[in-house]
Amino acid sequence: MEPANSGTFEALLKRGELIESTSEMSPDYLRELKHTLIVSGDTELISAPAYYLAAKKAPSVNAFMTGIAIIQDELAHAHIAFHILEELGESQEALIFRRDPKAFRYPYAFDVPLESWTELVVANAMYDQAGFCLLGDIHEQCSYGPWKRGLVKVMAEENFHLRNGRNWSKRISQAGGAAKDELQRAVDWMFPLTVEWFGLPDNLKQHSAQLDYRLKGLTNDQLRQQWLSTVVPFMESIGIQVPAHKENSHYVLDYPFPCTFDAEQKRWDFKDSCTWEDVLARWRARGPRNAEMVALFQESFSKFQVRA
Amino acid sequence: MTSLAASLEARVWAALAEIDDPEMPVNLVDLGLIYGLEVGEGTVRLRLTFTAMGCPASDMIVGDIRERLLAEPGIGDVVIDVVWDPPWSAARLTPDGRQALQAWGLAV
Repeated sequence: MEPANSGTFEALLKRGELIESTSEMSPDYLRELKHTLIVSGDTELISAPAYYLAAKKAPSVNAFMTGIAIIQDELAHAHIAFHILEELGESQEALIFRRDPKAFRYPYAFDVPLESWTELVVANAMYDQAGFCLLGDIHEQCSYGPWKRGLVKVMAEENFHLRNGRNWSKRISQAGGAAKDELQRAVDWMFPLTVEWFGLPDNLKQHSAQLDYRLKGLTNDQLRQQWLSTVVPFMESIGIQVPAHKENSHYVLDYPFPCTFDAEQKRWDFKDSCTWEDVLARWRARGPRNAEMVALFQESFSKFQVRA
Repeated sequence: MTSLAASLEARVWAALAEIDDPEMPVNLVDLGLIYGLEVGEGTVRLRLTFTAMGCPASDMIVGDIRERLLAEPGIGDVVIDVVWDPPWSAARLTPDGRQALQAWGLAV
């Protein structure tokens, strides 16, 4: 027999049951769910303009079609998150088209421009792998039913993006010479940015409401390890160096974490460690292309508004 | 056809059935993309279509076929003719392919 209070929200969560509607949620859960959805939706949404600027540099019509298909997928994934947010009482229009660029909650990496096909495919191999780890965890663990179910196809589509990233990275590396040098340079600046993507290390993050509410199941460091365990062996297998290595069963970074990044030069200074306060300040200030990226989908909205 | 060629042809079909579409959880044979194949002296020539002319995975599919068939003993060359006639439609799905796509949530 279930205890008498088995109908309460906490009891539902504890039993591992899915939450299906706002009427079942505590206000804190609803707030945390919305926050998690906004980060996810913003990340998918901003990847569209970021990838588009680089997809224009595709080396063939087929490659361009693949790039555009990936962008279409990302917009569809964003739509899942914003659609759920609307059902939870938020306005999609306000969130997507009327928010200040600095108020978006996507990872800092997307504020640093992808400027070549090589950088796009490295993003597919590393940024989409990060998305795959984060969304895969939500898909498996999330206590909010509508989101968990909405992610089934997202996982298959992210896999397609990963394949594009890996196939092309391998091809570019095999080409050697200047092409491989460009690939290595892209990995050099994008690898640490993706390591950072997973957020504060667990020892600095004392409490996670997302974990308490089973919005996700793995900690920042567990997700970071999962990402490293796929990206490091892959890059090594194609002859590309990454600043991390395996020690016993886990991966260790070969540079101070965190450390200083020059976004304009796309260069890390591994000799200049910094504090997490410095990193948080950099994230809050956003990166060089934040306003430009957001403008790519916001600028025409008011112009074409049709009022009934 | 010699029995050797017949067994090679059977192996080629089996190998193609191991290759999944890059976007959907269904293999290329069950998806109905292979319109036919001929095996010769170490050579496979196959007719391949895509579900749409703008298929974003076309390069990957061609690459996957080439890589898998070249790994098959006795095959040294793979020639792929991409064809559009007759156009692909859901009628080309095998019963297994239809079931796989329906299980994934596609109305086919």
